[in-house]
Amino acid sequence: MSNDKIKVAVIGTGNIGTDLCERLLKDPKFEVLAFVGRRSTSSGLMRMSGRVPNLLDSGIDSLEPLWAQLDGVFDATSASAHAEHWAIVQKHKRWIIDLTPSRIGKQLVPVLIDKSASMKISTENVANYSMITCGGQSSAALIYAITKHAKSVEEVEISSSIASLSAGPATRNNIDEYIDSTENMATLLTGCSAVKSILVLNPAEPPVMMRTTVHVRAANFDLVQILKETRDLVAKVKSYVPGYDLVVEPHVAGSGQISATVKVLGSGYYLPEYSGNLDIINAAAVETATQHVQANRLKDARIKS
Amino acid sequence: MISFYDVTLRDGNHALRHTLTPDFVREYCQIAEQSGVWAVEVGHGNGIGASSFLVGKAKTDDNSLLAAARESLNKVKLAIHAIPGFATIKRDLIPAIKSGVDIFRIGTHVTEVTTAQKHVEFLSAQNQTVHGVLMMSHAIDLKGLVSQSKLMASYGASAVVLMDSAGNYVPKDVVARVAALKQEIGVQVGFHAHNNLGVGVSNAISAIENDATIIDGSSMGLGAGAGNAPLESIIVNYRRMTGSAPPLDKFLEMSHLVEMKYPEFLPRTTSSSIQSGDAGVFSGFAPQVRQLAAEFGVSQEDLWQELGKRRLVAGQESMIREIAQDLMNL
Repeated sequence: MSNDKIKVAVIGTGNIGTDLCERLLKDPKFEVLAFVGRRSTSSGLMRMSGRVPNLLDSGIDSLEPLWAQLDGVFDATSASAHAEHWAIVQKHKRWIIDLTPSRIGKQLVPVLIDKSASMKISTENVANYSMITCGGQSSAALIYAITKHAKSVEEVEISSSIASLSAGPATRNNIDEYIDSTENMATLLTGCSAVKSILVLNPAEPPVMMRTTVHVRAANFDLVQILKETRDLVAKVKSYVPGYDLVVEPHVAGSGQISATVKVLGSGYYLPEYSGNLDIINAAAVETATQHVQANRLKDARIKS
Repeated sequence: MISFYDVTLRDGNHALRHTLTPDFVREYCQIAEQSGVWAVEVGHGNGIGASSFLVGKAKTDDNSLLAAARESLNKVKLAIHAIPGFATIKRDLIPAIKSGVDIFRIGTHVTEVTTAQKHVEFLSAQNQTVHGVLMMSHAIDLKGLVSQSKLMASYGASAVVLMDSAGNYVPKDVVARVAALKQEIGVQVGFHAHNNLGVGVSNAISAIENDATIIDGSSMGLGAGAGNAPLESIIVNYRRMTGSAPPLDKFLEMSHLVEMKYPEFLPRTTSSSIQSGDAGVFSGFAPQVRQLAAEFGVSQEDLWQELGKRRLVAGQESMIREIAQDLMNL
């Protein structure tokens, strides 16, 4: 049974939801049973006409007849709507991947599953995973690699620059929440409370590709191990975010400081290439769902045998 | 009436590589209090909450600098600059309100005003005086400038300040932009010069002649890149133009204090500043450009040109290394 397709619904038919739907439709592990919006005329829903069996326009309530068939759902709506969606998902004992900045779910970066103590797949099928922020997803591998081979981590800083065109109203309106959520992840990973996150929007034409720089200050580093670990983790992220590249390798950037930079190019499912910030969130969402389902199906299979 | 706005203790912190101390702030503010200047802005060069590896770690945290200034300022207003993306409401703006800041300037890159909506609205709802700052204001057409300024005003900013962060304007640009804003937006207009092309003071004067009412300057021009328009020069020019201005003596005393205390940090117009100004690149990149050009053995000129081509904005300091690396590998 564990080779069955993962049956999902995507809630939210904006840019993120539409890109996510495109990507799930092209992924042989998944079957998209429903795409859920609030307006039958939304361009996202119309785009999926004939490609997704259930195009629903009355929000999460319209999923009611489908729960028995669904494994879980992706939520690409808003932080305020997410709380309500999570309550319904729990009632039906399903999992949800949260792409909103609600901070309700457990922060997860797929590459660090079972590496970092804070990043674990739930042993219950009912679960809520938060995809944090683009800065969080793009920096986590660097933060983990650098701090793993450092002694007494004193400060962690994450700075990201993204193309203005890729920052929609939600990002702009929630820039403080973005910072807060990214910093929270860095603390979770490192135990260090002196964390800082910075987000810069660049309006240049043609649009710039997302970059994220991590700076760590600590008493001691093992640069050789950091390089090795970083290259290894970057390759692992690249397996689910093909446009993820290390452009400045970890280097000494001042006394007691290590810094490194990655670039994130979008995969161009629906969103343009310069939207690496949105791409990495969606890629992480799909990878998280895959890992969750595989782990739980394996567990169920073990229980049955 | 012109409100002269002193950025020595904020923009000057760029020139001092963010080493400003509470002692100096206190000493400076004691003179400023007697000078007739309208407001003194204090904090990290990129505004409060910006101290970071990315743009420079401050020696003293913003709250200590603000407290030192507050002790010495009474008639004169205490002001801050803050950039959303660096500073947040909870971590930086609320403590600044508690520190007794009188004027809050919220700045964004000139095309990104929507990122400041929450911050401006929050301060405005708290009955604080809040001004919107458009940084790199040369990097947009006139129509865009007007619409971004109108957005700032619609959020509740009682003034819009045009920052010439790259020192790219010549006086005719200032005339066109200030005049357009005066005509189109119903709030005060301010102007903040940088002296990369050697016309900082002329630009400030052009802004005054076109009815800007808030004019930024710093003592000895202490500021990012080639520095700001020296406040003492603005004052003397203004007196000669109008016959009335605050007395010069205290302004000279402030500039003397800066000159004596920080002789090796005084900014000036150089070949490099002319290139960055002409290319329209943020002046604050100067320390990174100097350091990385040396580290990678590329010329500062080539590096400035490439930064201009790639249209970097403030806060992308970490990309300078990548670009220097690319130039080296050409």
